[in-house]
Amino acid sequence: MVYIFLGLMTLFTFGATVSDNIQIGGSVGNVYKNAPYIITIYTTIMTLFGLLIAAAFYNNAALRDYNNNFNEILFSTPLSKPGYFFGRFFAALVLATIPMLGVFLGVIIGSSLAPIFGWVDADRFGSFYLETFVNNYFLFILPNMFFAGTIIFAMANKWKSTVISFVGTLVIIIGYIISGNLISDIDSETIAALTDTFGIRAYALYTKYYTPIEKNTLSPGFSGLLILNRIVWIATGVIILLSSYFSFSFQEKNKKIKAVKEDKKELKQLFTRPELSPKYTRKTEWKQFKSFFLINFLSIVKSVTFKLLFLFSAIILISNLVGGFEYFGLQSYPLTYKLIDTISNAAGIFVIIILVFFSGELIWRDRESKINEVIDATPHTSLISLSAKALSLVCVTVVLHAFFIFCGVIYQLANGFTRIELDVYIIDFIVTSFMTYIVWSGVMIMIQVIINNKYIGYFVSIMVIFAWGLMLSIFDIESNMLFIGGRPSLMYSDMNAFGPSLKGLLWFNTYWILFSFICLLIAGALWNRGAVSSLKERIKIAKKQIPKSYRLIIIGTISCWIAVAGFVYYNTQVLNTYETSENIEQLSADYEKKYKKYENVVFPKITNLKYFIDLFPYKRDVVVKATMTLVNKAETTLDSIHYTINSNWGTEIKIPNAELVLDDNDLDYRIYKLSKPLEPGEKIDIEINTKYISKGFENGAGNTHIINNGTFLNNFEIQPALGYQSRIELSDKNTRKKYDLKPKDRMPKLESDCSENCMKNYLSEGASDFINVETIISTAGDQIAIAPGSLLKKWAENGRNYYHYKVDHPSQNFYSFMSAKYEVKSRKWQGVDIEVYYDAKHPQNVEMMLDAVERSLAYYTKNFGPYMHKQCRIIEFPRYATFAQAFPGTMPYSEAFGFVINLEDEEENNVVDAVIAHEVAHQWWAHQVIGANMQGATMMSESFSEYSSLMTMKSISKTPMKMREFVKYNHDRYLSGRGSEIDKELPLYKVENQSYIHYGKGSVVLYALQDYIGEEKVNTAMKSFLEAYKYQKPPYPTSLDFMKQLEPQVPDSLKYVINDWFKEITLYDNKMKKASYKKLENGNYQVIMEIESKKLLADSLGNETPMKLNDWIDLGVFSDSDEEHLIFEKRVKIDKSEMKFTFEINEVPAKLAIDPRHLLIDRIYEDNIKTAKELLPEN
Amino acid sequence: MHKLKINNLSKTYSNGVKALDNVSLEIENGMFGLLGPNGAGKSSLMRTLATLQEADSGTATLNDIDILNQPKELRKNLGYLPQEFGVYPRITAEQLLNHMAVLKGITNSRERKELVKYLLDKVNLYDKRNKNVKGFSGGMKQRVGIAQALIGNPNLIIVDEPTAGLDPGERNRFYNLLSEVGKDVIVILSTHIVDDIRELCTKMAIMNEGQIVFQGNPQNAIDELNGKVYQRIVTREELEVFATNYAIISNKMVGGQPLIHVFSDTNPENGFELVKPNLEDVFFSKINTSNALV
Repeated sequence: MVYIFLGLMTLFTFGATVSDNIQIGGSVGNVYKNAPYIITIYTTIMTLFGLLIAAAFYNNAALRDYNNNFNEILFSTPLSKPGYFFGRFFAALVLATIPMLGVFLGVIIGSSLAPIFGWVDADRFGSFYLETFVNNYFLFILPNMFFAGTIIFAMANKWKSTVISFVGTLVIIIGYIISGNLISDIDSETIAALTDTFGIRAYALYTKYYTPIEKNTLSPGFSGLLILNRIVWIATGVIILLSSYFSFSFQEKNKKIKAVKEDKKELKQLFTRPELSPKYTRKTEWKQFKSFFLINFLSIVKSVTFKLLFLFSAIILISNLVGGFEYFGLQSYPLTYKLIDTISNAAGIFVIIILVFFSGELIWRDRESKINEVIDATPHTSLISLSAKALSLVCVTVVLHAFFIFCGVIYQLANGFTRIELDVYIIDFIVTSFMTYIVWSGVMIMIQVIINNKYIGYFVSIMVIFAWGLMLSIFDIESNMLFIGGRPSLMYSDMNAFGPSLKGLLWFNTYWILFSFICLLIAGALWNRGAVSSLKERIKIAKKQIPKSYRLIIIGTISCWIAVAGFVYYNTQVLNTYETSENIEQLSADYEKKYKKYENVVFPKITNLKYFIDLFPYKRDVVVKATMTLVNKAETTLDSIHYTINSNWGTEIKIPNAELVLDDNDLDYRIYKLSKPLEPGEKIDIEINTKYISKGFENGAGNTHIINNGTFLNNFEIQPALGYQSRIELSDKNTRKKYDLKPKDRMPKLESDCSENCMKNYLSEGASDFINVETIISTAGDQIAIAPGSLLKKWAENGRNYYHYKVDHPSQNFYSFMSAKYEVKSRKWQGVDIEVYYDAKHPQNVEMMLDAVERSLAYYTKNFGPYMHKQCRIIEFPRYATFAQAFPGTMPYSEAFGFVINLEDEEENNVVDAVIAHEVAHQWWAHQVIGANMQGATMMSESFSEYSSLMTMKSISKTPMKMREFVKYNHDRYLSGRGSEIDKELPLYKVENQSYIHYGKGSVVLYALQDYIGEEKVNTAMKSFLEAYKYQKPPYPTSLDFMKQLEPQVPDSLKYVINDWFKEITLYDNKMKKASYKKLENGNYQVIMEIESKKLLADSLGNETPMKLNDWIDLGVFSDSDEEHLIFEKRVKIDKSEMKFTFEINEVPAKLAIDPRHLLIDRIYEDNIKTAKELLPEN
Repeated sequence: MHKLKINNLSKTYSNGVKALDNVSLEIENGMFGLLGPNGAGKSSLMRTLATLQEADSGTATLNDIDILNQPKELRKNLGYLPQEFGVYPRITAEQLLNHMAVLKGITNSRERKELVKYLLDKVNLYDKRNKNVKGFSGGMKQRVGIAQALIGNPNLIIVDEPTAGLDPGERNRFYNLLSEVGKDVIVILSTHIVDDIRELCTKMAIMNEGQIVFQGNPQNAIDELNGKVYQRIVTREELEVFATNYAIISNKMVGGQPLIHVFSDTNPENGFELVKPNLEDVFFSKINTSNALV
């Protein structure tokens, strides 16, 4: 058995190493497929599976003598107790760790074979470190198997039951899950890491800020939180083992004998045998079904296993709910859809366990109870008893689910939330989980019946659950018709209810339920009635005995199933096609190979645009006509216009005097040849008609942009793109290699004096500059449609609403079109209409949103310049995506946050405000000035907006410490982001649209900068940059142009920060080594700080070089241990790596800190602060 | 009058064991005893009759029901208590019988209730009807078993070694019950306890190695042996010698010394004395045709 498990482990890891389709943890980009980090991830995850192995070995070690009834013989021999007890335990421990070595074997074999056979490139493998294997064995494999072993072994010894050992295994898994539920915020990560019995989360936290180079070279070490976690759990294990040892005895416990209760003597009654009239009609079958059902259902519900599973799942659900719905330190309202998600997460694993376990139990119940012959010899149809079993299985899961819903409702009420949508709970359950339960019940019963061996049946069931899906994905199959129980995902939205996938979902459900019925019918025919016989014999018997009616039912069901299958196939494969992920890669590669040559073909730019859009939200159709004027702004004549089409949209392009000379429908590329070439400066008017017509249903969730309530489209989606689109190209270098493509630059290099390469901005990529746009948009009679700009006119026609919008100032052609049943709240601020369009269910935060917009507008107009639109709108859209986005004067904001977060108790700044402030800031940073399409461009839009947002927050923050709370998310975003960088990290001024740099690092750096040189100075630099370039014709500015504006604002003493923070990757490693204070005779206190400081220069992979230190860093004193009151702060020059400072203050210090407000980027910030110790005067 | 006809029934297991070898029997109302050593094929025959096992060849009919091809019809007329009768955990005697009654087509709930009560009373478990059957003693469980076999109006009742594990009192009660219902229907009782058959059955068959080696009236069988069975106490050492020289039917220990029965048409002298044959002698003489020491 050991070798089988060893083989399986080796196979799994081998598969993960040599294939990109099997993912365990996974390595991407620069991290090697055999990096120490990856091997450790494999090991830790595999120890989770190893638990099952451990369970088998320990259970066997503890119970073998009992199960074989050998105990009485063995224990009467002169055997020593410790020898027996520990001997068995440690033998099992050694056995249990052996299969885990398969992880190492798998990686080693995989790494050496993959390059030889060309499965994976040799350059994706690094060298092995012996230390990795040794440390992994002693840090994870041995401790995990030991700890799991103590629990399983102790429980097995105590209760002498395999089922209880299984429960012990579950207890460990549950402990692991609950510990995971503790992570709700950055602040609780440490607790979660310590309470994780497997050390997986401790390792995750330990390596949270690992850079690719560290992942490739560092093995897990015996240090930090990781070793602490290991010690905690080994110690716990030892205690469990010892207490089990002391309660262990060779003697059989005296079995409890229940006192026999005297039966009440009843008066002797006289019974006569009644005249019987047995009937065998349909009604009889129904009654038999009911009776079978009841007997089976009760047997599960009354069983200990079920009660335990019930209890465990309830614990998981509750532990999930206790943390609430956290979002950046805020709590969301307990909306029904949130609870539905939580419930299906909590139920998931248990329902699978219940279905697998009890399908076997029910099928084998009669035989195990030895009542099978009696039951089998009664005149009932096998199908009746089997379908009753299936139904009882399903009902058990329904009971469990109903209980969860009950918990959910109680939770909502307990939180004072009264908008309880029972109908949503129930409908969601019926169309999703309930269907899953039915399908799997049928499938598993069939497996058990056909296999006709309980344990092999279990094994096959589990393989079907896990391996089948894996196998399909290896073969790049994504059709839900092949994934058992597969169906489009369903997401409930307060705005759009069950959304576009519901129709397809119902069809897929029908398809799978019929499939499940077929399974049951087959099981009913092949059910082993009477003496055990082989499958072949049973088929023979079935052929002989199955009545005609039964055959008809089978044929009927199969025909229905085939008909439904045909319909589903037609809809999901013919009417609505989809590309599998490998297909998409292939298409991208082909597109690049075939049309890259046109990359530099010049095209005329759009200068004027008018959209005519008709939305039909209830039919989910959109018809668009766009008329536009294009001008040849180049210095050469143009003889053709190239387009890349959006294949989901029907597209008709009308160019006067042009001929379609290339129309590639597979790769969606078109070339129109102009009969009269376009001279420089010459104009041409083009009309483009596009339409999206929804048909039937899809394999996936379907288009979530064009929906019943909450349509949200942008111009890139509804319009074909001009020219070759480099964004379609594959980006990951490893994927590119697979298709024989050379690695490509993410963005053009930053150039200092650029003319030619700065003619395109990174948003429109040369298709247009600042242009005039108008929209006439219509929608259903009960909805409001919104496009950017002032509303010129609004009218109703044919029961539809029409709106005419026009942007007041030439803007980017970056446009959103939205339609829903909105409520509107507005406010006037200095001639600007601030409006929030929201769903009637979400009025709570609207007033605060108006405040946030107003506050932002006020700060930005004062510090940066005027706002150029007459309206500033926030518009809610359904939760299919979680973001907010800024279009000219218009900011769509997802219902998933912002609108559903509970801000009732929030007085100060919060993330909802911050997001609004960020989007409003984009009205300056991106919409007034935008970077050229090259490195550093997003610094001027995203970093600046994030900085602006932080400044509005700062303006209402009561204490400086409040801002530290806020900035920590940005620090975290940057530091964890750089660890998952797949290509290379760049300095801020060369950011290549990397969000962890432009949001995370950008905001941290700019925030620190304003603290160092002053808010005014930073704002002045930004304002002068804006004034120099706003609404300018190309060439567009680069980050170097901003640096030119910034430099004069920075005093010479701080010039180094421009280089360190913007132009290099600089990290600080500050530490408060010793913190103490003493009381002075004058009543004041002297604080003594011994600090250690390092400045490190990192390269693009994370290799660090120490740098000479000559920096200004803050030192501070907190008067409280919660670090809320910063009573003293001084910026000092640090020029040595170890320094000592003393200050006199007039309050008792609690904690001393270096960089107390967390301005600098420091991978381990916690050690910057230390509790101050009082030095008692020496006598 | 019901009639069970078995014609040339044969069954060979996949491991080559011939469980049924050309078995033919005709059974009418009343108790019919099926005697045979362990592994003789009794259970195979019973299971086949109870539609729980297929036969390779041959036919079996109950009245006009073709047992092998109309299992469902036969089941409607069957009461069956298998050799191993277990019960579900966490279910009371009353619930179990009620469930069985539904399965046997007693759909009228009033009838069912009364029937269950009547049967529970018959098997002396009425007081324990609300107790979990799993906790019953072997004998009590067996009584539940017989109660369930009597549910409905079975024409054919098959009981496979029912008295194993019953104490003498329970055994008597059990047989009384059985013979009471056995008046109007066919009851097939399989056992390896010779006394059971003698006490209860008017007709019997002896099976060995899948074959029917005898069928008829127990008394007739005994009469056939009259004057042909001799016994003698021998020493252990002599046993082998006697076994080669005489047609030994059986040997058993009496007071620490082997007592052997031999079959002989004439008086073998040599210290043998004539005994009155009993059914046991019939049994052993039928199955021990090679006269080996058993």
